[in-house]
Amino acid sequence: MKKLLIFFVSLSFVFPMCGCGKKDTPDKWTIGISMPNKALERWNKDGEYLKKKLTDSGYSTILQYPAGDANTQINQIEDMEAKGAKVIVIAAVDTKSLANVLNKAKTQNITVIAYDRLITDTEDVDFFVTFNNKEVGVMQAKFVEKKLGLREKKGPFNIEFIAGDQADENAHSFYNGAMSVLKEYIDSGKLIVPSGQIAFEKVVTPGWETAKAQSRMDNIIVANYLGQKKLDAVLATSDCLSLGVINALKTADIIKNLETNSENILLNPIITGQDCDKANVASIVKGEQSMSVFKDTRKLGDKVKDIIDSLYEGKEIEINGEEKFNNGAKDVTTYFFEPVCIEKDNLVKELIESGYYKKEECNW
Amino acid sequence: MNYLSIKKSIKQYAMTITLIAITLLFEFLTKGVLLSPQNITNLIMQNSCILLLSIGMMLCILTGGNIDLSVGSVLAFVGAINGKLIITKEMPIHFVISLVIFLGFLIGAWQGFWIAYVRIPSFIVTLSGMLIFRGLAVLTLKGMTLTPFPNIFQEISGGFVFNFLKIKYKTQFVTYTFALILTIIYICLQVLKRNKKERRDNIYLFLIKNVFVCIVIFLCVTPFANFKGIPIILIILGIITLFYSFVTQKTIYGRYVYAVGGNEKAAKCSGIDTNKVLFYVYVNMSVLAAIAGIVFSSRTNSASPQAGINFELDAVTSCYIGGASASGGIGTIMGAIIGGTVMGVLNNGMSIMGIASDVQMTIKGIALITAVAFDVISKNSKVIRNVV
Repeated sequence: MKKLLIFFVSLSFVFPMCGCGKKDTPDKWTIGISMPNKALERWNKDGEYLKKKLTDSGYSTILQYPAGDANTQINQIEDMEAKGAKVIVIAAVDTKSLANVLNKAKTQNITVIAYDRLITDTEDVDFFVTFNNKEVGVMQAKFVEKKLGLREKKGPFNIEFIAGDQADENAHSFYNGAMSVLKEYIDSGKLIVPSGQIAFEKVVTPGWETAKAQSRMDNIIVANYLGQKKLDAVLATSDCLSLGVINALKTADIIKNLETNSENILLNPIITGQDCDKANVASIVKGEQSMSVFKDTRKLGDKVKDIIDSLYEGKEIEINGEEKFNNGAKDVTTYFFEPVCIEKDNLVKELIESGYYKKEECNW
Repeated sequence: MNYLSIKKSIKQYAMTITLIAITLLFEFLTKGVLLSPQNITNLIMQNSCILLLSIGMMLCILTGGNIDLSVGSVLAFVGAINGKLIITKEMPIHFVISLVIFLGFLIGAWQGFWIAYVRIPSFIVTLSGMLIFRGLAVLTLKGMTLTPFPNIFQEISGGFVFNFLKIKYKTQFVTYTFALILTIIYICLQVLKRNKKERRDNIYLFLIKNVFVCIVIFLCVTPFANFKGIPIILIILGIITLFYSFVTQKTIYGRYVYAVGGNEKAAKCSGIDTNKVLFYVYVNMSVLAAIAGIVFSSRTNSASPQAGINFELDAVTSCYIGGASASGGIGTIMGAIIGGTVMGVLNNGMSIMGIASDVQMTIKGIALITAVAFDVISKNSKVIRNVV
């Protein structure tokens, strides 16, 4: 009796789900899309865009998010293989753990496209579509360099660093990129880090969490900036971190209320960011955040679709902007896109007029 | 007799002494930054959420070592609904706040029902709650972070009472007046209590004790007087702490909670409706998680689907460091607050010193095992002595 009940209850859950994915028209190919985490704005947008792009041109898609868990991602990719996907697009949770499951894909002649993150230590990756991630940190650092006038030998200025999660390969790239520009100024004493926290393992933020970045900034201010010392810049490598920095600086009255006095914009410290999350776009408009590195992820989606189209039609794949990138096992054919630096001046043009956001979405 | 009572009080105050020792250690290591007025304000703002959660968690643990794994997710879900209604729908703040606290009540009733009346182990119910409400949080926000809240909402965690009430006098003056009122209330209560007693203790002892408490109160408000006054969140936290201390120590319901935790069968046999006790413990927990959700949104000025990850574990840690027993029936609300503060001071102190986050994690782990080991070993040695 009890078992019967459970059976029926679970059936009632399963039935409505069966209806969703079905379509009557015969599709071109089935494409698997595996994105890392639905709880992050970025991947939501990427996944939906790619899905729409592909379904619009007649492919059927399987879009799945493994909630940031590497093992779940492997299972989901296996499911896609079983469902007969011809191409699988993967933004890996753990770039090192996919070798086995991709090996299986290869035996079934499935094409694998690494999306934004390079899958390493396997020969079974066919294409890699990405932004130039090292460039992100360099752009942030160059922005600071320009705004402070470091090249013109101005200074010394006070700066603090906030980096991402230690376990994330990209967090290293971003930070190393920034340091490659700023190190000479730190060495020559033109940039001072009053907290002394410069080493990567000291500036990391576990889980890229806004609240953790905020607490760390609180503590840095209390320990170093209570006297006459002025904070000139905070190099935060990502927007979720910048958000915490802004909150902390507001609590400490370092960022003044801008609604009452627009001149204060000039006095506010420089704060960098990356990704142009909606929340941060509003901050840039208000003058709290100075810049954000924008990666128009639609370019990645468009490129992925081009590749799939060419494969489907059996055409040669265009080699525009193509490079080879070694993943430890082979040179993967790579398509690089350059990120764009967004400031208050070019924000409307790059984000709104390009159709990336609607103006009313951003709450400013 | 005297020796025993001294020993008992040492055990009772062990965690307070540890807290003072850790505070002094970090005060020394951070060269005086830890106890600076602004940092004390920061400490309170940074730890308010965990402290709120650990109050509720203490009640769960008291009823037999159960923990509520869902609090981090409930916090995120409530924060998500709260953000959606205030930012997107632009509904009035007071209304939304009461609505989401009621939502916390409903969530608690849902979990409490399965735990108390259907008797599914709380571990399983709250584990499912952890998944359900995290999922709903992501669903509500569609994975996006919502921001910014109106300024008045940000005041909840970042504002100061006297600014908020628009009192124009100097901060120091107002803060000390506030402290004076507090001490007068305290002394009146003490005098009333003493007059009620038949066997009064020594008048000098009474005086010394009261003067001591007054000095402590004034010492405590000094940092706030020298910064921006008393943070609103401290008042909220204070009221909730006092309320739950009162409930657990002085009311029948409180005794029932301890009784259920001590021995549920015995409690049931003596006529306590143990189901009801359990039910309300979980309702409580979720209501507090809802309040913490509001505070967290206010502090980060955003509603994020990733809010509150691992908060349940931080809250549990606070309770165990604060002297809760894993088998239930032992522990106090003040203990949870002290445990939470110990963790807060550790976090804050190490962060000010610029210790890397991986090392911080290791040190906190060691602190937890040390605190609990101390507790268990001191209990065991008592047992051994009794047997001998």
